Amino acid sequence: MELMVIMIFKIILVIFLAFIIGIFFLGLSRKIIARIQWRYGPPITQPIIDIIKLFNQGSMSHGVLFNFGIILSLVGSIVVILFLPMGKMCPLSSSGGLLVILYLMLLLPLGIALSSGEAANPNASIGISRKFILALGYEVPLLLIFLAVMTHYNTISIVKIVKMQSNTGWSLTSLPLLLSGIAYLLILPAILGVRPFEIFKAPQEISSGPMVEYGGKFLAFATIQHAFNEFIGISIFVNLFLGGASNPGYFFLKMLVVFFIYQFVNAVFPRFRIEQALKYLWKWPTLLAFVGLIIVAITN
Amino acid sequence: MNIEVLLVIAFGGALITYLLGKISKRARNVSAVAISLALVVIIAFLYNASSNITFYTGFLKNLSLVLRINTLSWFFAITISVVGALSIIFSLSYIKGKERTDFYYLMMMLVNASMIGIVLAGDFVTFYIFWEIMSWSAFLLISYNRGTAMAAGMKYIIMSVIGSMAMLIGILSLYANYGTLNISEISTFMASASSGYILFILITFGIGFGVKSAIVPLHAWLPDAHSQAPSPFSAVLSGVLIKMGIYGFILILYVIVGLKNFLGLSSNGFSFHYILCILGVITIVIPSFIAILQNDAKRLLAWSSIGQIGYIILAIAFGTSLGFAGGTFHILNHAIFKALLFLTVGAVEYRTGTRDLNSLGGLIKKMPITFLLALIGAFGLIGVPLTNGFVSKWLIYKTLILEGHPFLAFFALLGTWAAILYTYKLIHNIFLGELQEKHNNIEKTPFSMQLPMIVLALAIILFGILPGIPLKIINSIGVSFGLESLNINIWGIASDTGALNTINIFMAVLIIGLIVWLIFKAGRKSVKVTQDNNYAAGTYIPKGKYNYSVNFYNPLQRMISPFLKDFIDDFYMWISRGIKKMSISIRRIYTGDIGNYVMYIVLFLALLIFIQIKWNLW
Repeated sequence: MELMVIMIFKIILVIFLAFIIGIFFLGLSRKIIARIQWRYGPPITQPIIDIIKLFNQGSMSHGVLFNFGIILSLVGSIVVILFLPMGKMCPLSSSGGLLVILYLMLLLPLGIALSSGEAANPNASIGISRKFILALGYEVPLLLIFLAVMTHYNTISIVKIVKMQSNTGWSLTSLPLLLSGIAYLLILPAILGVRPFEIFKAPQEISSGPMVEYGGKFLAFATIQHAFNEFIGISIFVNLFLGGASNPGYFFLKMLVVFFIYQFVNAVFPRFRIEQALKYLWKWPTLLAFVGLIIVAITN
Repeated sequence: MNIEVLLVIAFGGALITYLLGKISKRARNVSAVAISLALVVIIAFLYNASSNITFYTGFLKNLSLVLRINTLSWFFAITISVVGALSIIFSLSYIKGKERTDFYYLMMMLVNASMIGIVLAGDFVTFYIFWEIMSWSAFLLISYNRGTAMAAGMKYIIMSVIGSMAMLIGILSLYANYGTLNISEISTFMASASSGYILFILITFGIGFGVKSAIVPLHAWLPDAHSQAPSPFSAVLSGVLIKMGIYGFILILYVIVGLKNFLGLSSNGFSFHYILCILGVITIVIPSFIAILQNDAKRLLAWSSIGQIGYIILAIAFGTSLGFAGGTFHILNHAIFKALLFLTVGAVEYRTGTRDLNSLGGLIKKMPITFLLALIGAFGLIGVPLTNGFVSKWLIYKTLILEGHPFLAFFALLGTWAAILYTYKLIHNIFLGELQEKHNNIEKTPFSMQLPMIVLALAIILFGILPGIPLKIINSIGVSFGLESLNINIWGIASDTGALNTINIFMAVLIIGLIVWLIFKAGRKSVKVTQDNNYAAGTYIPKGKYNYSVNFYNPLQRMISPFLKDFIDDFYMWISRGIKKMSISIRRIYTGDIGNYVMYIVLFLALLIFIQIKWNLW
């Protein structure tokens, strides 16, 4: 019973921390971009203020699936977080490992896609179509990277991967996985859907794509989901390549470093067209990840 | 229960149903459903039975015809009978009012009966007889709709006959060598066969089974056949009939040749098992991407079937216990979710009269339950966690990664991402988006069509949350082939290198889902609006013009379609055109003029006389 309580406490703590970190990153990102662009920018707490405001606003719905999809998407991202070790905490450590994470990450775009699909707004459909194409684009290098890590450590359990790194040093500094780590950094903006890869949102062209029909609590949910997504994308890198961390504070510091790297890209690059994005993703990151996997396969 | 009786009921039932149809349609329907359900019940009771019956000995010298049942055949038989029964129930409304319905039911039941016969066959003569009954009754069903279906059926039966001829060569050679065709006797002989002979047997049988299960160079018949057949039969065709090829592969690789011989078969660094794995990977990737380009719902599913068969072939050829478990579990899973998807598309076609993905849309408003079922089927196909497809794919990926074949795993995983794209396209273009005006008055799917789909959907979720139920049976099959036993629990697999626990995932999703839903409810209630409310900002827009579904993945399609030409099909068609041309030119000698024929006879006689004079042969 006591174990159960600790477990539940841990789960709540992990979700809460992930939420805070994700929201903080959203706020910080707006601030950084504003400063790079010589603006003052909104306060860092702006996303939280927005969420509270949005919850109290009215909204419109297109049907049951419209509600269900957004819930599914949020549930998917929260469950992924339970699989990711943060410091020493990993509530679902022995339930399927990286392969489950890989699959659960699908629920995020799928939920949004189902939800806004029912809205029958052509802009939303175009956005979804682009999102899936982009996902196919970055999944190719991402799969190669994941496979390189799993093959190198000969396990599919992410907790074990983190544990082994505490003995052998970070994956990023070990030669076989260096290329894979670089490849992950190259596709990170695509995973998080920020410039130059915010093709599926493209506010000026297709009015934020899948988000176009969302308002009120739907938009609040989408924002929360976005925050979790930010957390997931970065924390996978920290766990797989930067050796995780022994406590959440240290973990957060590592995340912050990675966050800054891609924010600078986010701030200055214009948007790709979808073909350009595919060409980019299937060229350099894929090549690096592919060579990385070959090196891993040989050295094993 | 005797297994001979089972087959007598299956075949006799088909005939009785046909004859009843001549008297009363109602009695025929009752009999078709009753007999197919009776088969399910009988087979279910045969669980754990093992028997071996010689039912006929007068056939040639030394050849006794044998029926036998073991866990492997039971596993296949129950899948066949359940999918068969469900598709017959589905047919009740689907086929009503069409012509030649008696014939349709006869053929449906014959296909089911012959497939049960195949898995119960204990020797290759019996096997081959049932195999041919299956092939030919399937041919008649594929071409049931006449017209273009005729050509599709033709393509299927020609490839099928070539396949079974190759298999026949293998069977005859086994008989010539060992003087018996009993499967268990041959497997003891084959244990000490030379590797060249094993290779010969594997290739001859492999062509036969490869055509049936549509492995890539032999797949050309499948997209046409699946899309042209009546939908309930498409479900059987894709769900279980192509699995007969897989059953054949399991039989030949694990029983006849034996796992050890099979894995050890290599020459010049090429191991046969690795080549089969690579064929499996090709079968996964290319058809899955071709499926993205399709605009016909059933054609899309057909290409996806080929892709999913790739997973099964890959896993079974890989030959580890995890791989075998994953592959065999995927046989069951694919039978369930692909049958479900074909039935939902059939239901949509039944109501709207079309399955063209460019002219549908918005049907969620009219057929909500069908949509939900299609969604569950799509989730199973993708392998979303908590559906059965996830567990089997997880097993396959895990063994590929841990045995050090990351590239095979990569292509297998890539196929899944292609699957997401095409299943979402299927769901979106049929059910989401704008409702077409001509579909405004569509009714719900009739209950007799919903029922089989509901059963299949429940199975997807049940086996997704409690995968231990089928995995226990599969594990015992694997152990009987000399594979290592797996540590199976009701919730998945325990292991040092990464366990799977579906109950944990289920509980996490359930509780978090509940909390998120409560938070969602706590927000202000939303107003329900129609499509044009936000999009047109309240002004008038013409109806039926705002659906984004044609060329759904346009930028991607432009990029990948040049690489995805089905050149193998083109090659076969080129051969068939060549043969046709040759036949036409040969036909010219039949002029219809008696004088010409007399001349041929005289010339031929002259030739014979010339030969006799010159070489004095006779």
